[in-house]
Amino acid sequence: MRRGIRSRAEEVRAYWAMILPAFILYMLVLAFPIVLSILLSLSNYNGGKLFGGEAWQLVGFQQYERLIRDPQFWLALKNNVYIVLVSVFGQLPLGFIFAYLIYRRIVKFGDFWQGVLYMPAIISTIVLGIMWSVIFSPTGLIADILNKSYASGFTNHLTEIFKQAGGFNITDEVVKKILAVSDPKALTVFSNPLADLKALLLGYQPSQMPVILSDMTNLLARKWTPDFLSKQNVAMVPIMFVTLWCWTGTYLILFLANMQKIDPQLLEAARMDGAGEGQVMGWIVLPLLSGVIVNSAILCIAGSLNSFALIWAMTGGGPGRVTEVLSIYMYRNAFVGVPNFPLANAIAMSIVIFSIVLIVLTKLVEKRYGGKE
Amino acid sequence: MRALLGKTPSSRILGIIGRVIAYLVMGTFALMTILPIVWLIINSFKSNAEYYLNKLSLPEKLQWVNYSGAWNIGDFRELIGNSFIYTIGATLGIVLFSIMAGFAFAKIRSKATPIIYGSFVMGILLSIQSLMVPLFIEVSQFDKLIGALFQLLHFIKSADNFHFFYNSRVGVLIVYIGSGLPIALYLCTEYIKGIPTALVEAARIDGAGFFRIFRGIILPMCVPIATTVAILNITGLWNEFALINILVSKTGLKSIPLGVMRFSGTMMADYGKQFAALVIGMAPMLIFYIAFRKQITKGVSAGAVKG
Repeated sequence: MRRGIRSRAEEVRAYWAMILPAFILYMLVLAFPIVLSILLSLSNYNGGKLFGGEAWQLVGFQQYERLIRDPQFWLALKNNVYIVLVSVFGQLPLGFIFAYLIYRRIVKFGDFWQGVLYMPAIISTIVLGIMWSVIFSPTGLIADILNKSYASGFTNHLTEIFKQAGGFNITDEVVKKILAVSDPKALTVFSNPLADLKALLLGYQPSQMPVILSDMTNLLARKWTPDFLSKQNVAMVPIMFVTLWCWTGTYLILFLANMQKIDPQLLEAARMDGAGEGQVMGWIVLPLLSGVIVNSAILCIAGSLNSFALIWAMTGGGPGRVTEVLSIYMYRNAFVGVPNFPLANAIAMSIVIFSIVLIVLTKLVEKRYGGKE
Repeated sequence: MRALLGKTPSSRILGIIGRVIAYLVMGTFALMTILPIVWLIINSFKSNAEYYLNKLSLPEKLQWVNYSGAWNIGDFRELIGNSFIYTIGATLGIVLFSIMAGFAFAKIRSKATPIIYGSFVMGILLSIQSLMVPLFIEVSQFDKLIGALFQLLHFIKSADNFHFFYNSRVGVLIVYIGSGLPIALYLCTEYIKGIPTALVEAARIDGAGFFRIFRGIILPMCVPIATTVAILNITGLWNEFALINILVSKTGLKSIPLGVMRFSGTMMADYGKQFAALVIGMAPMLIFYIAFRKQITKGVSAGAVKG
């Protein structure tokens, strides 16, 4: 009896000693910040001493009202929704299909594909973000390839036009033909394209043909300008592309590992009964993996609502502020310029609320349509 | 008869077309991964003038100066040490504390378990990045509080520049360990639940205390899950940016991603150095991945929380 009491006390002591480090860290890093965030989002705290400094008090939902009225908040939310959508409806299905192709050995060298497609996930998103922003930039890889092909196409056109005209023979007709293949944007430098270009061309000697070709190409050939980096409605496209590219491999690995747990006889039997690969995938593998898919979707939503580093490295929220997502909008209000900590905390809370709503929604969808495990 | 059905000529043609499409799509994805990285590495050896002249050729002469330049501008000599300290320290902390708490949750009876364990599991869904503002306020305010206390006790003269959490390795490690705990703790607890309770009870009857059981039975048996948890965390910790970005402002305490961030923007005057910095930033994890690909893949798929 006595031994029983002593051992019970030892049990309690051992229990708390074992969980204490984790418990304290959890309190410091997760629990306390949440409570603090809720309090500060309702307060007029201005960044001074939190404990025993100037008094700060709870003032209610002012900051949330301000958020709702701020168009920038809705823009950031919209951008964030794009990221969530491309993650849930891009990364997950693609990852699933890739996993299935490898699992069913429809494509060979599964190990190789898996290894390559997962690679972006292990490289720093800062590195990848900067890399892609350079590739997409006006002095980057895509612009280089496109402009070179536009230029060589234009040079070929010119050569053809001059050949038809029988050499250096500047008539109105030739000039019109040149204008027809030129980039309309390049022509805006002329006030009267036909006359101006003709005068320009007549300034050359007939022997200068190669010079004419290269000058005209530089001047008039179509140039690719990465509009999507400055236009609001398409500025998110590169970011969404890189988001899709970066994490599809993660879901490929998750799904593949879970597919490999399925009893292969089940699939063989279905195939014997004449089911096609599409049917096997849709009617057997997909329902069996529904639990994993829902959990992946939840992690995917939570992750993509917090995407910060990739966009920060790619655009920093710019140009202007058109690619801001909620986390960058929050960062700006707390760390750039004059801090507004209550507003920043209200944004933090709206991110948390938003992810809870989406996660509950996902769970509801699972209940309604999901397979039984 | 039915088995033959799947082998009609038309379905075979369909199968071939499907295969071709599958290869095309996967090939495109794979090329989109390999080509940019190879292009980046090649161009990191070009001078700026050469880059502007031709972005698709091989470098005429390997410009190793890009690397020494980027190394110096980014202060990578200092940062790489910090990255190792943060990654190794936080990984060890996450693994050890998760196994300890997992042991308590799985093998020691307590009424507190459902509440505490439950709140940890909830933490999996909460991305800590959304808490960077309150975290920043917390660490800076705690520093002021501790500083004032120490000043009161005459440990230090002035609390103005006293930092315990902010701008300190301890602070970064605390945040990193705390943010990695929920999922690691979940994995460890579920794993330890699978260790036969009879083992623990037999040791108890023999008079062993819980700490001896932990050291002698649980820890050795947890090596597989410890490896998984470690692998699951290493790349993420090494590449972490959002949190350390707000926790540290001194160069001597920064990690590699913060150094690479200095090279952001297409306005960089020198592309060769920018690319060299990016290669420096990705090389360690790329090597780690190539060396431990099998284990990393296994760890990631184990991290798929089920249920």
